[in-house]
Amino acid sequence: MVNYWFLGLSITSTENRFKGESMERRTFLTTALVGTATLALGLSVYSPEHIRVNKALDSEHRLLFSVLLPVFLEDALPNVETTRVAAQNRTLDAIAETISHLPQEGQAELEQLLDMLEQRLGLLVLTGSMTPLMMRSPDELISMLEYWRNSFIDLMVTAYQGLRELVMASYYACPEHWSRLHYAKPTYFDN
Amino acid sequence: MAIQDPIEEGLASGWKHIDASQLSEDRTLEADVVIVGSGAGGGVAAEILTQAGLSVIIVEGGSLKSSNSFNMEERRAYPNLYHQAAGMKTKDKAIGIFQGRAVGGSTTVNWTTSIRTPEPALEFWTKEKSVTGLSRAELDPWFQKMEQRLNISKWEYEPNRNNQALKTGCEKLDWDFTVIKRNVKGCWNTGYCGMGCPVNAKQSMLVTTIPSALDLGATLVSRAKVIELEHHNGKITGVRAQALDEQLKPTSVELNFKAKHYILSAGAIHTPTILMRSGTDDPHQLLGKRTFLHPTLLSGAVFSDPINAHSGAPQSIYSDEFVWRDGAAGELGYKLEVPPVHPILISSKTVGYGKSHAALMENFNQLQVTIALVRDGFHPDSQGGQVHLTDTGFALDYPLTDAFWHSARRAFASMAELQFAAGAKQVLPISEGVNYLNSWKEAKSVIADMELAPLKTVVASAHVMGGCAMGEDTKMAMVDSHGRSHYYENLSVMDGSIFPTSLGANPQLSIYGMTARNATKLAEELTASSRT
Repeated sequence: MVNYWFLGLSITSTENRFKGESMERRTFLTTALVGTATLALGLSVYSPEHIRVNKALDSEHRLLFSVLLPVFLEDALPNVETTRVAAQNRTLDAIAETISHLPQEGQAELEQLLDMLEQRLGLLVLTGSMTPLMMRSPDELISMLEYWRNSFIDLMVTAYQGLRELVMASYYACPEHWSRLHYAKPTYFDN
Repeated sequence: MAIQDPIEEGLASGWKHIDASQLSEDRTLEADVVIVGSGAGGGVAAEILTQAGLSVIIVEGGSLKSSNSFNMEERRAYPNLYHQAAGMKTKDKAIGIFQGRAVGGSTTVNWTTSIRTPEPALEFWTKEKSVTGLSRAELDPWFQKMEQRLNISKWEYEPNRNNQALKTGCEKLDWDFTVIKRNVKGCWNTGYCGMGCPVNAKQSMLVTTIPSALDLGATLVSRAKVIELEHHNGKITGVRAQALDEQLKPTSVELNFKAKHYILSAGAIHTPTILMRSGTDDPHQLLGKRTFLHPTLLSGAVFSDPINAHSGAPQSIYSDEFVWRDGAAGELGYKLEVPPVHPILISSKTVGYGKSHAALMENFNQLQVTIALVRDGFHPDSQGGQVHLTDTGFALDYPLTDAFWHSARRAFASMAELQFAAGAKQVLPISEGVNYLNSWKEAKSVIADMELAPLKTVVASAHVMGGCAMGEDTKMAMVDSHGRSHYYENLSVMDGSIFPTSLGANPQLSIYGMTARNATKLAEELTASSRT
């Protein structure tokens, strides 16, 4: 699966400078987070079977996104359970692919945001609560997104917009998800 | 149905093409002229210079893709053909920028709208920006030449319903509108120009000037990112580039290019970035400053009947009712156009999520979208953005000023008025905190008070201009009115970065015409000097 774009990312080139300076790691928030990554997502409490993920190696943040997708895509995801699960998994694959096309600096910013959402301290900074996202109700997750969306702190707003655009672009990238739009590309060229 | 692919045929016929991702060793290449970039400027320059008998190397950072790979899916087109997979943004993330990155540059993915440079812009450049020899009378023969070369002609078919709504609205309100001229030949009217023309109807650089230059013996190097120009004593002495892999990530292979003359056609943002990175002379600190975007606002409208805004020529009507109304340096004018509506484009360039967003997407085929492109760079409070070098590349800092927001409010009102006049049931200005509006009366009062701000209001750009301005006064300009560097005798710039302001019109034909003029003069000079 191939796709792309549209994260709230700075306009930066994808390559390192020619002369080989080491890339300075950008901080998403200036807050220095001390402490080890904890099970902030609530993995020890609840992990759905259908999210195909090795918890120890979830470098694509599939669990985190599996919590966010039903909120971002409410009413867009199919109602039938099996097709819904397939659509979510397809979107998770598309998100991983989208992230791979981001410039290095953008990937670093996003990675930092996602890491924070998987840690209790990060959650406290970003959401005002240490409750793991998986333990939150849909309404609580909506409140979290609205808190970011309407924040007077630009970094919160860009966190919301970055995740929103990543999820929307990845979901609507997939032709399998176009039936509700009644959109299909022309078939003149199909042999 | 199989479509002939002129690129694959050309490669099979023996074109000199080096895909730098396939190189395992450093290379040095020489020619009379090295051109950096293969878009509207680089493509036209390459054809004219090769026709004059000069040897030419074209160096392109993007990939060589052609119709066989243009599958009309955004998920393939954006990473393959656009800078940063079409996700480029300004430093504060308030403006999303679409800029092509492939052989053919943005011409491979643009929507084919071809407009001669508006006279008020040219007059402003003459009076305020020390530009000489660029009146419309002087330029028109060059526009004519390029219109002929690229089959630019008025779109004679019915506009699609997205454009028809713009036309109907203008007719009802007695506003100015124009049928667009397009650079197409045998267009299938499908609506996928932004993903690479699948039938090679669009007369982009990819299928016109670049093949012509290659037929005449030019060398094309793709996936090679130019890092810096080497310079000494007022002369450019070489170009250093880094090979990129198939994902456009850098490899360890380096390419060096030597030439008598060097042309930068990397586009606004990248041409100034290369010069800044090279530490070339810039005594008045102009490089990267006054970068313009035509920052663009969107207004959605729901119609009862299908609009199917994804289908058919994406742009066939525009309205200049508000572009120059208050004079060039007056309030920022705005041009009204429509965009093609495809799933990723519209799902990303709207606001909200969950139920409200799903409901919007369910109306996908009833959705008409109008855009207002704000003419930046003329008003004293519209100085554009500035490109800075960063640790890993560059950033574009583009502050959206009060003058911009003032025009944005007027633009949202004009778009709503137009859409209701065209028969819209509801109008949705694309900005946080605004709901569907049910009448022009309601829209008028809501838009007068709506919050407009960076990150709240969706702002996009598909036209990057400026940052390496032309003109005779070195306090304002990096290159002269023919694109020749004020500081390096063998360096020219031929792309949209030389515009001293934005244009108030889609830029491709301006770049074609001015490059044809400047490259022809350069070819005469270079061939004359080689004879002596």
